[in-house]
Amino acid sequence: MTIGSDQVVQDVQDVQEVESGEDVAERNRPVALGPEEAAALARAAGLEELGVRPGLRGYVREVWSYRHLVWHLSSAQAWATNQNNYLGQLWAVLNPLLLVGSYYLIFGLLLKTRGGTSNYIAFLTIGIFVFGYSASAIIAGSRAVVGQIGLVRALRFPRAVLPISVTLTQFLVNVPAFAVLMVMIPLTGEPFSPHWLLFPVALLLQSLINLGLAFFLARLVNAARDSANLVPVGVRLARYVSGVFFSIPHYAGHGLVSALLLYQPLAVSMTTAREALMDQYPLTWGSWVAAAVWGVVLCASGLVFFWRGEGRYGSN
Amino acid sequence: MGATDVAPDATTPSVVCSGLDIVYTVFGAKQKGTDTGGELPLVERLLARRNPVSSVRKVHAVKDVSFVVNHGEAVGIIGRNGSGKSTLLRAIAGLMPPTNGRVWAAGRPSLLGVNAVLLTGLTGAKNVMIGGLALGLTPAQVRDRYAGIVDFSGIGDFVDLPMSAYSSGMGARLRFAISTAAAPDILMIDEALATGDAEFQARSRDRIAEIRRDASTVFLVSHSNAAIRESCDRVLWMEQGRLVMDGPTDEVVRAYEQSHRKATA
Ligand SMILES: Nc1ncnc2c1ncn2[C@@H]1O[C@H](COP(=O)(O)OP(=O)(O)O)[C@@H](O)[C@H]1O
Ligand SMILES: [Mg+2]
Repeated sequence: MTIGSDQVVQDVQDVQEVESGEDVAERNRPVALGPEEAAALARAAGLEELGVRPGLRGYVREVWSYRHLVWHLSSAQAWATNQNNYLGQLWAVLNPLLLVGSYYLIFGLLLKTRGGTSNYIAFLTIGIFVFGYSASAIIAGSRAVVGQIGLVRALRFPRAVLPISVTLTQFLVNVPAFAVLMVMIPLTGEPFSPHWLLFPVALLLQSLINLGLAFFLARLVNAARDSANLVPVGVRLARYVSGVFFSIPHYAGHGLVSALLLYQPLAVSMTTAREALMDQYPLTWGSWVAAAVWGVVLCASGLVFFWRGEGRYGSN
Repeated sequence: MGATDVAPDATTPSVVCSGLDIVYTVFGAKQKGTDTGGELPLVERLLARRNPVSSVRKVHAVKDVSFVVNHGEAVGIIGRNGSGKSTLLRAIAGLMPPTNGRVWAAGRPSLLGVNAVLLTGLTGAKNVMIGGLALGLTPAQVRDRYAGIVDFSGIGDFVDLPMSAYSSGMGARLRFAISTAAAPDILMIDEALATGDAEFQARSRDRIAEIRRDASTVFLVSHSNAAIRESCDRVLWMEQGRLVMDGPTDEVVRAYEQSHRKATA
């Protein structure tokens, strides 16, 4: 480049420097775009509005299209749960065993709550493992959105993926415990029975119940964060009234209170599991129908409730 | 999603933003110096006064922002720290619901921020899969592109370690590789390139140019005016949540620099 043309460039720049800041600001003033004008423009270009809630049907379809994300998110997080210590995945089995041991000491030997049960160890073990799954799923489910705010603020996907994946994660985390349970049941003296095949069905119904509760709690906690502190309290309360380590009919009789205690969703999950696995409890229609009704009703109403909050998750 | 019956070209909008307001609710704020107290609704002010344990504060991060961006445009966003650049990007990525106003966008946005946490407890490999799926790829597509993503990120064997063991530069490279693997319709980059080394910055510039050639829109937030000048033909200047200037890169960046000089003089 010659000296001459450099000089010209410099001159042009000088002219622009001389131009006042107001002129530049005036020329580059942002457009004032009214809502109607903007909507018309967007419609003409075929754009999609962000931050609005899709219809329920479309929402369900969208969630379904993200099923692979649900699976990979859940399995990866379930695996990571026990990865940060030396014994790793062994803890998935050790934890429930230690829990059963300590509960047996407290409730079986010291407090003697074994009334009305013929095989207290099996009764207690089923109670602890089955309730343990609900407890961890409910607590984790209530934080499904607020606990993953980083993910919510980084990636766009239907937020129902989160409670679903948290529930599935907790199921996967508890699979080793259920395997331990299936080994322990015959060791406690229960005779083999084809009814054992119903145990996975009981777990499926329980999972639907857990998922429904996760939908409700995840939205509530996202809207009112303080409620997250009440969830563990509620779960602890439920642990003592749901018949984890005592038989409800034996201690609460057969009145209305007992029926309410027996047929609330968390207790029903334990009843169906015991009916599937223990000789002392024959299968009854009442508990299985109750579990199925709770599962379907909670899951469907929970999904609708959660969907109504879509578009507001991640806003605080 | 976002199937348009309009052929995308440089004259059709890909993002329309009208009267956008974003207000954050911040928990754990200290109530003593209530300098923003005047902006709170009356009820909340009363609540805050009545109840010394509650500590909720509103932060009005984006105020009445409107603009239209076309396909294939590369738009820089400049402004001081806390001026609302990241928040604005989150809103046009569909990640922050607007408090007021409306936003429309074409297709699938992909936001790449310094804080775009993937799941730090999980390995890079798992993050590639989860990030790809969340961006709308199928598992088979992610597996197909896996080698390319890991290659581009240049993190090598670290891909099998949890991301918590990565340096910030390595994390940024992996995030960039994932976000651009899905060929997003709108790519947003929020200071994410600053932590990479020079060689990676050069490669990412090439990748951005490639994405723009596919008629995608690019938003770039950067504190390097040189990077903005290099990649963008239009610039939005944010100041305290407001959009103060919107125009050609040269003019807006120069005006911004002059306002700096005035401020420091
Ligand atoms: N997650 C958040 N919660 C509450 N306030 C936030 C959050 N993120 C940003 N802010 C506030 O919003 C304003 C704009 O922030 P941001 O968009 O990050 O600005 P920039 O990216 O321009 O630095 C700041 O006042 C900041 O304190
Ligand atoms: Mg920022």
